[in-house]
Amino acid sequence: MISAQQLTKRFGTLTAVDRVSFEVERGEILGFIGPNGAGKTTTMRMLTGFIPATEGTAIVAGHDVFEAPMAVRRSVGYLPETPPLYRELTIGDYLRFVAEIRGIDARDRTRRIGQVMEQVGLSGWEKRILGSLSKGYRQRVGLAQAIIHDPPVLILDEPTSGLDPAQVAGMRDFVRRLAEDRTVILSTHILPEVELICGRAVLIAQGRVLADDTIDGLRRHAGGGIRYRIELKGGDPSAIPARVGALAEVEQVTPLEPDQGFAVLDVRAPADPRTAVARLATEQGWTIRAMERHVPSLEEAFLAIIGAER
Amino acid sequence: MQVAWAIFKKELRIYFVSPLAYVFLGVFLFLAGLFFYLGITMTGEASLRVMLGNLGVSLLFLLPLLTMRHFAEERRSGTYELMMTAPVPLWALLLGKWAASLVLCLVLLAGTLLFPAILAYYGDPDWGIVATSYLGLLLLCGAFVSAGLFSSSLSDEPVAAGLIGVIILLPFWIAGTASELVEADWLRSTFRHLSFLTQIEPFTRGVIDTGALAWFALFTFAFLFLTWRSVESRRWR
Repeated sequence: MISAQQLTKRFGTLTAVDRVSFEVERGEILGFIGPNGAGKTTTMRMLTGFIPATEGTAIVAGHDVFEAPMAVRRSVGYLPETPPLYRELTIGDYLRFVAEIRGIDARDRTRRIGQVMEQVGLSGWEKRILGSLSKGYRQRVGLAQAIIHDPPVLILDEPTSGLDPAQVAGMRDFVRRLAEDRTVILSTHILPEVELICGRAVLIAQGRVLADDTIDGLRRHAGGGIRYRIELKGGDPSAIPARVGALAEVEQVTPLEPDQGFAVLDVRAPADPRTAVARLATEQGWTIRAMERHVPSLEEAFLAIIGAER
Repeated sequence: MQVAWAIFKKELRIYFVSPLAYVFLGVFLFLAGLFFYLGITMTGEASLRVMLGNLGVSLLFLLPLLTMRHFAEERRSGTYELMMTAPVPLWALLLGKWAASLVLCLVLLAGTLLFPAILAYYGDPDWGIVATSYLGLLLLCGAFVSAGLFSSSLSDEPVAAGLIGVIILLPFWIAGTASELVEADWLRSTFRHLSFLTQIEPFTRGVIDTGALAWFALFTFAFLFLTWRSVESRRWR
């Protein structure tokens, strides 16, 4: 549905986006993550045709962004970083205007406006002036504007920035529902959001794609994978790591600093090794103080990948 | 066309829900009243010539302020991103904005119809001359709005855009005075023709001059074309 090939954008001598390539399938929600200034917004602007790429191509909904910009504009709903609102207008007048320039049939406009206002939770707010709205409500109007023409592709630039936790949760559900029959790209620097909404994420920093994988894949990519922290005491403490490491289920054991006579082990294993370790401890008469399973967060993966780059 | 119509309605609505249109109407009518009074008391003739000529010069300073927000403000508030990612052809955007500003000018000019009405009450003005005079002013508005749109496309700062607009228009006023200072005939005649006062003069005598019509049309289209080029080229930066 979306395909970016070697997209590059240079502003003078600054390369904001450097040969970025990725694909998004129909029905997929792709998270675009990366630190501020990574080139997320610039990439999205190139996909919507707002700014032309210096090099590279992009196909959105079957149309080349540079050769058929109008066709792309028709198939994309776009929520820019700042919701594009005319402060002087009311919500109703504004959405009517967007419906008109989006070419929605005059007979369907009123119905469609009512529909999207209900969808984003703005029912009964037609007469409110946009300039008087709080950030959360402006974001909602921005979203209503992006979906009013029922586009097959949605590009959302930081849709949850400035929202309170309840609103963030609402936005999340909403985007998930939207994606049922659409393709969505959303950018964010709030990682738990990506973990909750997106199937796949592209990590971008300093204009380059550092990783493009499923959320689980990204975690593995960070080199960590799932780890177990195991604390045991009994017999000769220095012999414990070797005995645990000898278990068939265990891949690798790294002894950490011992704590109050307990050997502390960082264990890597393809499948959960804790029952095997417990059996061994029972046989040996060891004391078990802790056996924790540690799933690295996307945050850690993110920092590990960016850290490795630097 | 439907899109241009939508833009036109939106721009007009923004003019009239903000205080801008009313402030302009007030200032414009005040100036018109002043020129009307001075014109009548100074020349002693029941005509609108003085008022209309001076209003032309006032428009030079007022209209860039009216049009300055068009592109500058859209860029600043981010709505420009909506315009450039919705299926809005550039010509529709330009036409909608130009027409909305012109309609506001029509409202301003309609307000000054009060003065010919006063003349009609006390005397017998030549309605043909009144009609052509207003036609001349309207053509002038179209030309100035076009230049104002161009200046608005040059800056992200509305106030700067307004000032640039005045600076762009000033030579077309000063050229008339400058023509009296130069020696060479060809230069004098060129300067004279550059001045919008020269172009609007036949209209105040009740003459619809084809040369002047062509001048206004050329002026309007030239600046609309420049605006189009300027908006296009800024996308690449």
